[in-house]
Order: sequence, then structure tokens, then C-alpha cells
Amino acid sequence: MKSVVTTVIASADAAGRFPSTSDLESVQGSIQRAGARLEAAEKLAANLDNVAKEAYDACIKKYSYLNNSGEANSTDTFKAKCARDIKHYLRLVQYCLVVGGTGPLDEWGIAGQREVYRALGLPTAPYVEALSFARNRGCAPRDMSAQALTEYNALLDYAINSLS
Amino acid sequence: MLDAFSRAVVSADASTSTVSDISALKAFVASGNRRLDAVNAIASNASCMVSDAVAGMICENQGLIQAGGNCYPNRRMAACLRDAEIILRYVTYALLAGDASALDDRCLNGLKETYAALGVPTTSTVRAVQIMKAQAAAHIQDNPSESFAGAKLRKMGSIVVEDRCASLVAEASSYFDRVISALS
Repeated sequence: MKSVVTTVIASADAAGRFPSTSDLESVQGSIQRAGARLEAAEKLAANLDNVAKEAYDACIKKYSYLNNSGEANSTDTFKAKCARDIKHYLRLVQYCLVVGGTGPLDEWGIAGQREVYRALGLPTAPYVEALSFARNRGCAPRDMSAQALTEYNALLDYAINSLS
Repeated sequence: MLDAFSRAVVSADASTSTVSDISALKAFVASGNRRLDAVNAIASNASCMVSDAVAGMICENQGLIQAGGNCYPNRRMAACLRDAEIILRYVTYALLAGDASALDDRCLNGLKETYAALGVPTTSTVRAVQIMKAQAAAHIQDNPSESFAGAKLRKMGSIVVEDRCASLVAEASSYFDRVISALS
């Protein structure tokens, strides 16, 4: 899993040297920003179900045709799967906040995403709408501190860009 | 390769849940500078630690440098010093990451079989690693033994806190123990 620390170790190992001062500086930079990231991760984990539910409702409201017979949100099973997908994306965002990089989203969310949605005949616009809703819903300092919200929104933007 | 953060993520993903134990990671972040000082203490004294450990191993078993011994001639002694440095380097990586996966995947995997094939004696290797373990503890605590070091006593001079980084000493020792158990 790619993070600042593993990248530093991989390059030090490739050169066969002990961690240098500049390696330690980069790790320290990552640690300094970690406070805000972990705060966002903690708050998101505590409210993941609500955030996912609101985002799901928002996208179904905008794309109400999905409720029509034969569409992606038509049966209870389909509805549960749609809600689960949104929750998956938010969980991966939480992982990224913990790791401090986009590794979890890249490896477990984005790789193969296009192919899967094409094979299942799913539109990506509703996902974009759901994540955009979550992106604009967060508010500092009501939900988390401003710096934490910046980190959280940046990752949602990253997920939105991968889908559009 | 994982670090403390990605280790938490990978184990949370196994149960499709969010990372819940954030407080452990916050503790990692809070003691981040101590960890970097500890890594720096080992990295800055690495060549001294390696040569001392190998010299100590040979002092206790002079047969190693007699004809037919595993540290004779110079070519094999050089290989021994190089290997000790490699092991110490991967332990340092593990200490920096707060996770043993770099050490396990890149150093220990297959090491025992390689040494068995090359005829490297396990007991001597383990002894050198044990000496490095004691040295690493002394350097992280910044408390090297005056009676052993004599005129060569060297301190990092960084600010030392009350418990002398006891948790980091324990963590570093656990990585050395990992090497020892992988070899024996």
C-alpha cells in the first residue's frame, strides 16, 4: 500500500542505504498533517451510515428514473446494492484519510471501475451526484475542523474525478 | 509493504468496516518525532554497530577467523559485515514504518534457507543480531555503556524524556527478535 513512509522506504532500499535526513524530513511532513486526516477519519467513521444515506437519497432524488421498472434502483435488492456502493466509496475515502494517500481508492475503488460499470450497465452520473452531494454537505466547524474538511473534500473530489 | 497506517486499513478492509482504532494511530503520530530520533540514532551509528557486533561475535568464537572458519579469509569476513548491515538496515525500515512487513518480505523471507545452503552458521549469526539488539536499545535510549565503549563513547545528545523511549526500545527489540526467530 503506497504511503509517504512506504515510498521513502522503497527508494532507500533501492539505493541500499539507511533512511537519510531528507527521508526522515518527508516522513515528518506526513506526520504533521496526520492530525487533521485522522480527525476527519474519526468523524467520518462515526457518521458513515448517515452520510451514505443522505448521499444516496440525493442521487436518487435527482435521477428518479432509476426507480422505474428494470432500472438500477427498481427493486429492494437493487436499492440495497446502490446504497452499499455509496458506502463503499465513503469507506475507501476513510481509508485514504488514515493512510494519507490515495492508495486505497486507487487499488480497491478505481482499478477496474470503468469495466465493471460498463459490464453491469450502470450509469456513473448518479455516483458522481451522490459523492458531489457529500462533497458539498460537509461544513466546518460544525462537522470537523477546517483543515480536516479540506483533506476529506480533496479525497471526495478525487473519487468524483475518477468517475467523470 | 505496509506501514502502521496501511496495516490498520488492510485489516479493517478484511471485515468491510471502517478503521475504528484511530486512537492507536494518534499515539503513533504523537510520538512521531521520538520515532524519527530513534531511526536517526540507529542510522547514524550503523557502521559502528555493525563492526562491533561482528567483532564481538568473533571474539566469542575465535574459530571463525582461523583457516576453515566462516569469517576467513577477508572475502568472507566482508560478506559477513555486509549481511549484518543489511539486516540492521531492514530493522531500521521496520522501525520507521512501525510495521514488520518490509523486514519480513524483503529480508527474512528465505534467509534461513539461503544461509543453510551457503553453510553460514546460525548460532554465530544470531549472536551478532543479539549484540545489535543491545546496541540499538542503548542508542535509542541514548545511554551507551561507558564500560563497554571506553574512549569511543558516543552520544546523540538529543533531548531525553523520562522513560527513555521505552516503547520504541521494546518495538525495536521485537524486530530483532523477529530476525532471531526467523533464523533459528
